Amino acid sequence: MTEQNIQHQMDAAGAAGFPRALERTKELIYKYGLLVVLAAMIAYFSYAQPFFGTFLNAMFILQAASIVAVIGLGCTVSMTVGGFDLSVGSAMSLAVMASAGAMVMFNLSGPAAIFVGLSCGLAVGLFNTFLIVVARIPDLVATLATLFLVNGMTLLGVGGQSVAEGMSVDGVAATGKFSPVFKWLGSGSLLGIHASVVVAGLVFVFVFVLLNYTRWGRAFYAVGGNPIAAAAAGIRVARCRMAAYIISGCLAAIAGMMLAARSNRGDVNVGDAYLLHAVSAALVGFAVLGANRPNALGTLTGAVFVAALINGLTMFNFPYYAQTFVQGLLLVVALLMSYMLGPKKRG
Amino acid sequence: MKPVSRIGAGGDSPPASTERSLVELRSISKTFGATRALDGVSFNIGKDETLGFVGANGAGKSTLIKILSGIYRQSSGEVLIGGETKTISSPTDARSMGIATVHQNIDDAVVFGMTVAENLLLDEIATSTSEVFMNQRLILKRARSVQEKLQLELPLTAPVEALSASGRQEVAIARALVGNAKLLILDEPTSTLSAREAEKLFEAVQDLRRRGITVLYVSHRMSEIKMLCDRTVVLRNGRIVSEQVAPLDTRKIASAILGELVLSTKHKSRMGDKPVFVGKGLRARSESAPAELEFRRGEVVGLTGLVGAGKTELLEQICGRRPLEAGDMRLHEKDYAPRDAAAAIAQGVVMVPEERSLQAIFPGESLWQHCTVGMMAFFSRLGFMIQRKETAYARDVIRDFRVVCSAAEVPIEDLSGGNQQKLLVGRWLKNDWSLVVLDEPFRGIDIGARAIISRALREYSKHAAVVVCSSDPEEVVEVADRVLIMVEGRVRHGGRADELTSEELSEIMSQTAYHEAHDGREVTLQ
Repeated sequence: MTEQNIQHQMDAAGAAGFPRALERTKELIYKYGLLVVLAAMIAYFSYAQPFFGTFLNAMFILQAASIVAVIGLGCTVSMTVGGFDLSVGSAMSLAVMASAGAMVMFNLSGPAAIFVGLSCGLAVGLFNTFLIVVARIPDLVATLATLFLVNGMTLLGVGGQSVAEGMSVDGVAATGKFSPVFKWLGSGSLLGIHASVVVAGLVFVFVFVLLNYTRWGRAFYAVGGNPIAAAAAGIRVARCRMAAYIISGCLAAIAGMMLAARSNRGDVNVGDAYLLHAVSAALVGFAVLGANRPNALGTLTGAVFVAALINGLTMFNFPYYAQTFVQGLLLVVALLMSYMLGPKKRG
Repeated sequence: MKPVSRIGAGGDSPPASTERSLVELRSISKTFGATRALDGVSFNIGKDETLGFVGANGAGKSTLIKILSGIYRQSSGEVLIGGETKTISSPTDARSMGIATVHQNIDDAVVFGMTVAENLLLDEIATSTSEVFMNQRLILKRARSVQEKLQLELPLTAPVEALSASGRQEVAIARALVGNAKLLILDEPTSTLSAREAEKLFEAVQDLRRRGITVLYVSHRMSEIKMLCDRTVVLRNGRIVSEQVAPLDTRKIASAILGELVLSTKHKSRMGDKPVFVGKGLRARSESAPAELEFRRGEVVGLTGLVGAGKTELLEQICGRRPLEAGDMRLHEKDYAPRDAAAAIAQGVVMVPEERSLQAIFPGESLWQHCTVGMMAFFSRLGFMIQRKETAYARDVIRDFRVVCSAAEVPIEDLSGGNQQKLLVGRWLKNDWSLVVLDEPFRGIDIGARAIISRALREYSKHAAVVVCSSDPEEVVEVADRVLIMVEGRVRHGGRADELTSEELSEIMSQTAYHEAHDGREVTLQ
């Protein structure tokens, strides 16, 4: 107790020593820094390349961001309970292959294929729950195991080949086709807005409302903040963890189906690349509005930020191989903002 | 059967003169900011003796231990080792001077994932002078020689986590002794042991004594002190208030620990009316004596007893936070067996836990979120939180409990301990519950906050049962109508709070301990 008091006094003395203006600036940067950079970037790109600012290009950007946003929102939910879901990429691959396979190889209808895809996400979520909640394996380790297991299972299921219309199954060309309902997810539109943007928008609203306005969202954050105190306050911690991993798995499955519908085919391990993009979107999101924790608006911003940045740089003929570096830079800046400028958390 | 009791062994206790002393403390003081944790503490630790070191929570025991083990530096005063003034500037320093400490939490002293042999040699492995390449054979060889020297028998190749708590403690003690320790400090060594495991420790301590190793034995349990120690020093409010030589009088020790209590009730004790909670055959720990408890509407029950008596363990079982050891509970004359805290809260039993930052605080979250987190169902419709209602509730709590804060939206870390506690207690008391249990609600908070909380609890108890638990009897008597005293797992009924005297209190605390030392030990030591 006494040590804490001393620490408090020292903190107070330190804060008083700084000029107040500097403190204010720090706080403003912490809260709005990333949004200001995003706005400035969009303004500059629009000024330098008039096409950048058009509605059409905005749709391109959002479309590019949509899949990452959906998986990233899933990651965000798993992060709110203090976890980390590395298996989203593999859940995505599984859903891609299962839903495409359901239509092409088994002649199932679009809605049935979507149901199959979602069931895959649910199954991965339940398996993660088993490892993390029942077997008490640490989140990172457990979901890493799930990643390999699910990827391997997907490969075994399709014999290592891609799923596309007219593919050969046991030497015979498959007769199944991608159903129009399913294709709509990838290429349709609603009121002039691309379908994948609509889906991502709906997912965002769902996660945003869940995390910010419902009991369950509050409980998720409580579990992530202090699981012991959460349990003491009567929150069923195991149940929250389970719900979070199921949501994460299902959102990854939705993202997978969006991808399959866009490319009209299913390629093995296609989800792997999305894992890190999704995680980085969620982490960039920590810096939005000084949240300093996983949050839906931040993740969406993170996904859109990266998409807009890459879109703009491509217009300036920036080499494609520099994209990764730029993305890394963004992540570092965002993390520095939230961890160095934010209020110091204890422990 | 080994003779365990030291009663009547006063004859061979060494006199604590300077020539015979191993470590001498001369007017040691330690201040933290404005707080004076130690105030001119002087005493000797004699060669070959087992010295009991006791005191209530916050008396300054741990500060003194930390000074001796090189974690803190004293603000003034000096430490003499073997007659020479020494500066103990680091834990390594302390070890090289022959002072070894085994801290309360056993698992902090051993490294999981390593074998017993590796743990024994940890200090050697960790120093830069050791070989870069160390293979298992070499480690095992060295560990064997250490084991021979210490005359111990440990399963050297077993992973340390496979050992029982007392086994791990044995390793921790052995590790402390590897470097030729002359003084071994045991800080509450039995606090995490079962009764049976504790017996093993007592034998080990007596063995150490026979081999001429001085032990500073820190404990809250009177029976252990009486059984093991040649001499006892009592610390209170940073000063030595009593020194006694065996045969020890536990009654005197107890009253020295408690000090001159001001057991003043400003109210007349009420006896309550309708029984809310009835517990039969409850046990704090599996080996504790069974207890019959009844908490009634219209009274505040105070539960007191020294640290480690089993108060928290008992209360946590009642509130669904710990599996029930034994017995039956009834709430409002219906069977009551909550499987977790959520179930207990749903049935109207809430608890304010002992460790605020560990068990009640969500880092960075606002005051209003803390106010409603345990009862979110009340503040939501169809799962959607009604934030307006939440903030209004939080403002009510803040106003009624005079929580000093700039707004309900600030993070809880911005508040002082007392204000945090007012909020964390107040959030429950603005709703109807059957039983409200508070574990150490007054720890580390100011008098103002304490008065506000006490008054609110007495008011609230008019229509609910309230239990306040504290190791400080003064705190309990101030708020309670009826006092229960817990001694080493047993619940003793102390009767009306306004009739309890300090003499009676120390009588209960020490007498029971004395009997425990006699009857209890003989039975379990077969």
